[in-house]
Amino acid sequence: MNLNVDAEKENTYDAIVVGTGISGGWAAKELTEKGLKTLVLERGRMVKHPDYPTATKDPWDFAYGERPTQEDLKQQGVQARTGYTIKQGTKHWFVNDLENPYTEVNRFDWMRGYHVGGRSLTWGRQSYRLSDLDFEANAKDGIAVDWPVRYKDISPWYDYVESFIGVSGQAEGVPQLPDGKFLPPMELNCVELELKKSVKNKFNRLITIGRTAHATAPLLHSPQRGTCQFRNLCSRGCPYGGYFSSNSSTLPAAEKTGNMTLRPNSIVYELIYDEKKGKATGVKVLDGETGEQTEFFAKVIFLCASTFGSTFIMMNSISNRFPNGFGNDSGELGHNIMDHHLSVGAEADVEGFEDQYYSGRRANGYYVPRYRNIGSDKRDYIRGFGYQGSASRQGWASVVGELNIGADLKSAVSSPGKWTVGMGGFGEILPYYENFVVINKEKKDKYGLSTLTFDAILRENELKMRKDMAADAAEMLDAAGFKNVRTYDKKIGVGLGIHEMGTARMGKDPKTSVLNKWNQVHACKNVFVTDGSFMTSSAAHNPSLGYMAFTARAVDYAVGELKKNNI
Amino acid sequence: MDRREALKRTAWIMGGAVSAPAIAGILKGCAAKPTIGWKPVFLTMDQGILVSQVAEIIIPKTDTPGAIDTGVPGFIDLMLKDTYTKEDQDYYLAGLNAFDEEAKKQHGDPFIELSAEKQEAFVKKVHDAAVVDAKNKKGEPKRPFILMTKELTMLGFFTSEPGATQVLQYVAVPGSYHGCIPLAEAGNGKTWAT
Repeated sequence: MNLNVDAEKENTYDAIVVGTGISGGWAAKELTEKGLKTLVLERGRMVKHPDYPTATKDPWDFAYGERPTQEDLKQQGVQARTGYTIKQGTKHWFVNDLENPYTEVNRFDWMRGYHVGGRSLTWGRQSYRLSDLDFEANAKDGIAVDWPVRYKDISPWYDYVESFIGVSGQAEGVPQLPDGKFLPPMELNCVELELKKSVKNKFNRLITIGRTAHATAPLLHSPQRGTCQFRNLCSRGCPYGGYFSSNSSTLPAAEKTGNMTLRPNSIVYELIYDEKKGKATGVKVLDGETGEQTEFFAKVIFLCASTFGSTFIMMNSISNRFPNGFGNDSGELGHNIMDHHLSVGAEADVEGFEDQYYSGRRANGYYVPRYRNIGSDKRDYIRGFGYQGSASRQGWASVVGELNIGADLKSAVSSPGKWTVGMGGFGEILPYYENFVVINKEKKDKYGLSTLTFDAILRENELKMRKDMAADAAEMLDAAGFKNVRTYDKKIGVGLGIHEMGTARMGKDPKTSVLNKWNQVHACKNVFVTDGSFMTSSAAHNPSLGYMAFTARAVDYAVGELKKNNI
Repeated sequence: MDRREALKRTAWIMGGAVSAPAIAGILKGCAAKPTIGWKPVFLTMDQGILVSQVAEIIIPKTDTPGAIDTGVPGFIDLMLKDTYTKEDQDYYLAGLNAFDEEAKKQHGDPFIELSAEKQEAFVKKVHDAAVVDAKNKKGEPKRPFILMTKELTMLGFFTSEPGATQVLQYVAVPGSYHGCIPLAEAGNGKTWAT
């Protein structure tokens, strides 16, 4: 009896954070800086900044020209669907699909990294603010539920997180893409500048340099981070701390407080709910290495395990009070899966600019903010899309299909090739109840835990939008005078954008949403969910910056409520 | 009457049977069979020799190292073994055999036993025909043996240190980005390796 009490005391913290990715790192930083003794649980292995095993390797240090082997593709076949993640330099940041299976009714791409830092190590780093165009959209269109927040609620928190992580970008004064606290912007190259001019003159649309979480100037508050070195090897992990990751930024900040206990190999599979207290008292943890099961307790719990990670934990937490999944009075848990649909756009060849080039490797491109269905523009679909693109000069690979061979090949390849340019759309996906995920108790993972089954597709609105996404891109490239303009529209699964969202959405009404405007579970006030699952609509741009802002805001609220003894 | 037939008759006339390798030796003026300094793990020795010779023709040693200097043939062998599907392996080997058969048809000898000049001319002919053929086809048809070998050779070579740093230019840590500059001011003006 006493032993149990002691064990419980030893395993009790002020706060528990589940997950160490972009949201978990921020929750850890904010909670610990506010003085809470915080247990941070990560299901995967330890990764400490700056220990990234492939980060400083040169091309010749890799076998297979860095390409995946057939064995890699067997172990990580789903993760390889992106076409860019399973390489010799990055494959260790993605899960083994044989050990971590899931079921897809329609093709569904679930890209995951189970280690400290999660996908903050491999994210695309593009950082955009939502605007009231996005926050008001559901209400105006009369679909799904209204966001319970507006831009003015979240704007100061965007300021706060941008100032800390460092976002490089150019202020443009465009209402649908609010400016932020920017570090110096990166440069567009010669062809991109030409395209920018043409797109402005002929379409009155904006091309701006991508807003990206790279330190283009020193961040004095994060001395462990240096500035971006323009190596463009980000997804291996950056030993310079040139871009924001949990490992380089928020976790060191949390560590510095002395209030964080970071526990890797700790798979949270269930929330412990106390019916008498009407609260979650802790979490059940399976040790990923030993299989040992432990319980940890805290006054407040932050689920930051990624959209489907947190949704799984909630679905797997069944009690008398919550027979259909934790906090799922509304029946919305697991529904309204969103992502951004992509792999559609256009490419072109560029004549001229032959005596112009660039130096350094810019891990960034240009961005075209949304312009469809704004003001008087009305399409046969709702919402819209943005574009990300870049221009570059071709390298050696373009010569494989040319006549050059022998000494002639060597000399041909040593001169920079023709310029090419492309732009790919990122389109909004509407929150459909019919796009959903359920727990699958039949199929187990390597730990014996249940798995997930996804059933989600792109629907009419997205498919109509894709036609514009290809055609508009071609039109803009053509108008700039570029040659051989060709569109593409690849068949994709939902999930390929790696922006999964929406399965525990926030809303005003507990009957139709899982979380309130503070990311707090409507039906259980001491549990907060701040990963992508809270998103009420997807907007058209990369969402991670928003997860950070909402997480910091939720922690501020939670700690205030704790102090007032409200939770 | 081709040369091989002629030689056989000569041997008969000389009153003795001559083994096939010996015939090959006689044809080559008794030169030793070509060898390679590495042991293939996927290809046979003869296939390894052929791939080495083809790779060196695609990227020869000039004032900078070539395919053989940079270990490209062994790289190709390993790529075939570990990164190709069974289907693509079979496709490559069938293409290699067809390439060799065509060499025999045109020159009467296996490719690896041809003179360097004949090898180079043959590779160029097959290569150019394949490039033209590919350009005339819509979409991205499967590359034939010669272009698969070219792609593998270029991948191996341009990810090697000499390929990346001597034929192309490479800076491990650029430290800055300049988006729009005269070519002459972009390092040494060569193509960036990465």
